[in-house]
Amino acid sequence: MENKNTIEMHHIDKTFGHDTSKIQVLKDIEFTAQRGEMSLVIGPSGSGKSTFLTIAGGLQTPTAGDVRVEDTPLTAIPVKQRDALRLNKIGFILQAYNLVPFLTVREQFRFVDRIKGATHMTEDELMTLLADLGIQDLITKYPNELSGGQTQRVAIARALYPNPEIVLADEPTAALDSERVTVVGQLLHDLAKKHNKSIIVVTHDMRLKQYADHIYEILDGSMRQAS
Amino acid sequence: MYLAWKEIKHEKLRYGLIIGMILLISYLVYILSGLAFGLAQQNTEAIDSWGAQSVILDKDANTSLQQSMLTKSQTDKMTLTKKESYVGQSAIVAKEAKHAKVSAQFIGLDWDQFIGQKLVLTSGHKPTQANQIVVDDGFKTSNYQLGDKIQFNSNTETYTIVGFTHNAKIDIAPVVYGDLSTWQTLKKLPDTFVASGIISQNAKYQPGVDQLKNYSVAAFINKLPGYSAQNMTFTFMIAFLMIISLVVIAVFLYILTIQKIPNYAVLRAQGVPAKVLVSNTINQALLLVFGGLALGVGLTALTAAALPAGVPIAFNWPILGGVTIGILLTGVIGALIPVKLILKVDPVSVIA
Ligand SMILES: Nc1ncnc2c1ncn2[C@@H]1O[C@H](COP(=O)(O)OP(=O)(O)OP(=O)(O)O)[C@@H](O)[C@H]1O
Ligand SMILES: [Mg+2]
Repeated sequence: MENKNTIEMHHIDKTFGHDTSKIQVLKDIEFTAQRGEMSLVIGPSGSGKSTFLTIAGGLQTPTAGDVRVEDTPLTAIPVKQRDALRLNKIGFILQAYNLVPFLTVREQFRFVDRIKGATHMTEDELMTLLADLGIQDLITKYPNELSGGQTQRVAIARALYPNPEIVLADEPTAALDSERVTVVGQLLHDLAKKHNKSIIVVTHDMRLKQYADHIYEILDGSMRQAS
Repeated sequence: MYLAWKEIKHEKLRYGLIIGMILLISYLVYILSGLAFGLAQQNTEAIDSWGAQSVILDKDANTSLQQSMLTKSQTDKMTLTKKESYVGQSAIVAKEAKHAKVSAQFIGLDWDQFIGQKLVLTSGHKPTQANQIVVDDGFKTSNYQLGDKIQFNSNTETYTIVGFTHNAKIDIAPVVYGDLSTWQTLKKLPDTFVASGIISQNAKYQPGVDQLKNYSVAAFINKLPGYSAQNMTFTFMIAFLMIISLVVIAVFLYILTIQKIPNYAVLRAQGVPAKVLVSNTINQALLLVFGGLALGVGLTALTAAALPAGVPIAFNWPILGGVTIGILLTGVIGALIPVKLILKVDPVSVIA
């Protein structure tokens, strides 16, 4: 039978700095994400949520431990291959939104077409997504003309546009009001259930709890399953 | 190219300033090298127009046509072919009642020899009598005309301008072509002196007289008064200008690339290959430098056309080509010095 696991992390440690300034952010993390499921990772600010997520997506390497994305060991492959994996399999919704400042909303998507090609959404699907997120009227604007919440929603759409198998979201609702939180929560939930994607959301927004299949908590660098 | 172009379009002011700076620098380099080359040419224009390959001079004249003198007893022992021509050079001041005085170089010719025969006139005709002269177009800037009667130095004889010729300058002064006998008069020489030297279109022409020597045209030109010193000054001036300009351009494009690093980090986080970002950087540098150069060339062409005729400006295509390629290359190098930073840009740095 096909492996349902999209991301597997074993014995992950992450430390920053050296000697006296050394801090251990993650300790012996065990984590698995599966297709068709949405996982929520919660924890207080500075607990290592972003660090965990970027290691899961191959943006940084753990100090120790093993990360596999769709059975490919991230730590063992060359940078180029890791880039390709990120480009083709993973949609990152980053905490700092990360839109390209000199491209309009429309062009943020177009640029993905150019380097990625085939698998992205159709124009209709994209328009539906933008309408769901309430940003369909913003496509000619530049990032500096958007509000924080609008930027965050564009960043969500940009990450989902290439139809990634795995979506890694860092505080995707930090700048949104309750109404939009519902929309985004439902959207991510549907992606898991209807499109069989693997969704991992890192947040301290408890309003997202109801959409998750699994909830984990990071405290003092250790992860445990929460109720 | 997509990203490069979008970025330029979005930040018109910033990129406009950089293009403007490259424009000004290339304009400066083009115009200065044009002026230097134009001035250098005025040393040798006449000699170039003769198509000379060698110059026969007294071997003790320090390679100077003005200092050299051929005697009748020497020339009697020589046989000149169709490729040799006597010239008698003398520095003069030309004056005419109505016009300003002109410092000029008198070149006395035997009009039956090749220089006289091949001389191309822009107006008038060649002299038919000893007191007729053909002068460089440079005289026109002082309003001299066909038919004007001119005196040389303090002499009382008058000479009539019967023709104009173009591009005839030697030692940065306009040339007056006249008869060899006039040269003798100007120099106050007896008939036993025939000419200053012989210009030959044959590089290997041997006079067969011990006291006379064949000099290559290159050696002769290098010994023109002030010529090599002047050229060296200009060469160094332009070389320094080039080096400094190139460093300035490189620094600007370096800063430009550095400022892009955060944007590149965003794109790297999305999985955009570093290769795409590097080629984007190169393309953009080329686009900016090409734009600046094209405008610089345009402005230079306009300036050259607008300059008054008396200002010497001439373009040497190999030098200009070198300058252009140099600017293009340094632009790209400047943009690529931080390529390591592009390749190493840490996507995590923008995640916060
Ligand atoms: N590059 C780094 N160098 C040194 N320390 C770092 C680095 N990145 C993160 N840290 C530290 O690791 C800890 C965890 O950071 P992280 O960004 O993962 O927290 P977080 O849970 O995402 O917090 P928040 O909810 O505020 O986003 C923090 O104490 C932070 O200061
Ligand atoms: Mg964080």
